[in-house]
Amino acid sequence: MSNALSTDTVIVGAGAAGLLLAARLAESGRRVTVLEAGPKRSTDDLISSQIWARRLKWSGPQVEELGDHKVGHAFNAGFGTGGSALHHYGVWLRLHPGDFRVASDHGVGLDWPIDYQTLQPHYDKIQSEVGLSGDADAEIWRPEGAAYPMPPMPLFAQARILQKGFEKTGRRTAPLPLAINSQPYQGRAACQFDGWCDAGCPIGALANPLVTHLPRAQKAGVQFEHNALVSRVLRDPNKAARIRGVEYFQGGERHTITAKDVIIAAFTVQSARILLSSAADTTPAPGNRFDQLGRYLTSHPAATVFGLFDEPTYPHQGVSGGQLLSHDDYDNKQQGNGFGSSQWLIAHAIKPHDLLGYGTGRPDIVGNQLEPWLQDAAQHLANMTLVVEDIAAPNNRVTLSDATDTHGIALARTEHNLDARTARLWQQRIDEGQEIMRAARAREVWHGPRVAMHIMGGTVMGKDEQQSVTDSFGRVHDTDNLYVSGPSLFPSSGAVNPTFTLSAIASRQAEHLITQQ
Amino acid sequence: MTADTTRRQLLAGGAALGWFCINGSWLQSTPAQAQADGFAPQHLSVAQCSAMNVIADALVPGAHVAGIAAYIDSQLSAKNDSLLLVKYLGVPTTAQSGFYRPALDSCIRLLAADGMTPQLALTAMGEDAVSDWQGPPASFFSFVLRADALDVVYGTEQGFARLDIPYRAHITPKKPW
Repeated sequence: MSNALSTDTVIVGAGAAGLLLAARLAESGRRVTVLEAGPKRSTDDLISSQIWARRLKWSGPQVEELGDHKVGHAFNAGFGTGGSALHHYGVWLRLHPGDFRVASDHGVGLDWPIDYQTLQPHYDKIQSEVGLSGDADAEIWRPEGAAYPMPPMPLFAQARILQKGFEKTGRRTAPLPLAINSQPYQGRAACQFDGWCDAGCPIGALANPLVTHLPRAQKAGVQFEHNALVSRVLRDPNKAARIRGVEYFQGGERHTITAKDVIIAAFTVQSARILLSSAADTTPAPGNRFDQLGRYLTSHPAATVFGLFDEPTYPHQGVSGGQLLSHDDYDNKQQGNGFGSSQWLIAHAIKPHDLLGYGTGRPDIVGNQLEPWLQDAAQHLANMTLVVEDIAAPNNRVTLSDATDTHGIALARTEHNLDARTARLWQQRIDEGQEIMRAARAREVWHGPRVAMHIMGGTVMGKDEQQSVTDSFGRVHDTDNLYVSGPSLFPSSGAVNPTFTLSAIASRQAEHLITQQ
Repeated sequence: MTADTTRRQLLAGGAALGWFCINGSWLQSTPAQAQADGFAPQHLSVAQCSAMNVIADALVPGAHVAGIAAYIDSQLSAKNDSLLLVKYLGVPTTAQSGFYRPALDSCIRLLAADGMTPQLALTAMGEDAVSDWQGPPASFFSFVLRADALDVVYGTEQGFARLDIPYRAHITPKKPW
């Protein structure tokens, strides 16, 4: 084992939450070290290729997945500097006030220990910090908050065509709010609308952590250790509530680092795995005195609806996240025999291949029929994605497998099943989506399979230790100085993409930690 | 675009270099050129590569010439750096060899059956109606191999050009994979 390092704050994970915290804490004068399981990455690594983009996805120890709605860890998680935010689409939406009280209002899932008003100042602060494009007035469903710092992105042919389908079926749309520059912002370039967002944006138009909080963290003196796989947190032998540091493996060697505060921001599944692996013979894992650690794992059930049109749509134009938004059904969670919020992300820039590509999604077309079909789709296809709220359930959880990684650390196992009410809502909305596509005059309509989009929960925040793992600041209940950050804190999923909310929570955590000094 | 033109363009993908064992020597080549020159697979058997070429070409014409076998074989050798799409579908890099090999052996047997054609083989695989099939379900394997073939034929600058899609890279790939 190598010599132990020491610092003020050690942060596990160099994703959106970890780097935001690193920058803010280091700027306040703390010594901060970030341990990242994957390799060091720079914008030069963000090659415009869906094939090369697969390097950005999780390549660490395998996650065993069970259930009828597997969380898709290898697709949703990241690996290396920037984490999953390096390949995220930049769709930055606020949770709605009702998302914070689903148990109180509807008797399902969990409430948050905070309300929307508590997070609102941090949503406002973050959107100014990273830069968001959008039209707050056009988003009639938008919760209270400051207007966006940049105007919305332009609409291309695909969006204008689909917009008609929404209008004809009595639905409203608005420009999709994006953490992508519609104009130069704080020294970063404007978007070029070439649809390479999920391969990583090397020009810095999309607010990935390499161009937002990483430079600030580096300037403030944050130390980085890459290819450093954290295995567990270390309790103080003289005071169980105090966490003295973490153990990690790097270059085949075991290391430790001690710190005044420890923050686990290793993305949902690995954060739970690290804590679960920290149980000792007679001491339960941190946050697990009431068997809550790993529970309430959530993932948005999603699917894409496609249509082929006579008029040109040029679906390569724009950005991966989409051009328009519809939240018409968001606030009405009681939907007949279904339950939950939902949203439409409309008119994604899309490629012919890769997992989400239109060619991949039509396995029925093969042989000599394929190329003419692809040539048609490349000019005339339109698509939009449904995102549905997942109900937090205690039996959807992260546990440890009997199998281990090369260091002898138990692998993570996830089990995630969809509530029947959620499945019914998903089907209802998919049927509606196909109607919208037909109303827009698509000549052929189909939809892709139900997939898991985003991974949340597992170390949820709450007021009651018997129903949660951390308090509202992400401090693990039975510890003095162990924090969790990231989407694993979400007690409910809502139906919006999580990066804006996890960033707002991290902002609030940073403020809390700085005032604790 | 004629078949001959397509073949010439694929073979001329000069920047797409990788190391392949050809005629006993390690040479830098494109996967397509390696295929044309009769590369020696390092991870799969020659028979497995041949069966892959037949099935992949039936799914996505052009996959054989584009070097599907060289692509899969080189990625299986890449271990944790594998770029194969199947990693998204619950098959981690450490298990990918065990995904392809038994399925390809099943394809060899299937293609050897009396009266079998590539099209009949695709139909049987799509319906999971192959007796004595080993490995992942035949329909799932067919889905994955088709996606791999889409990668090599259409997932490159040349492939985009075949579909009249402007590639407009921010950082141009020095090689397709």
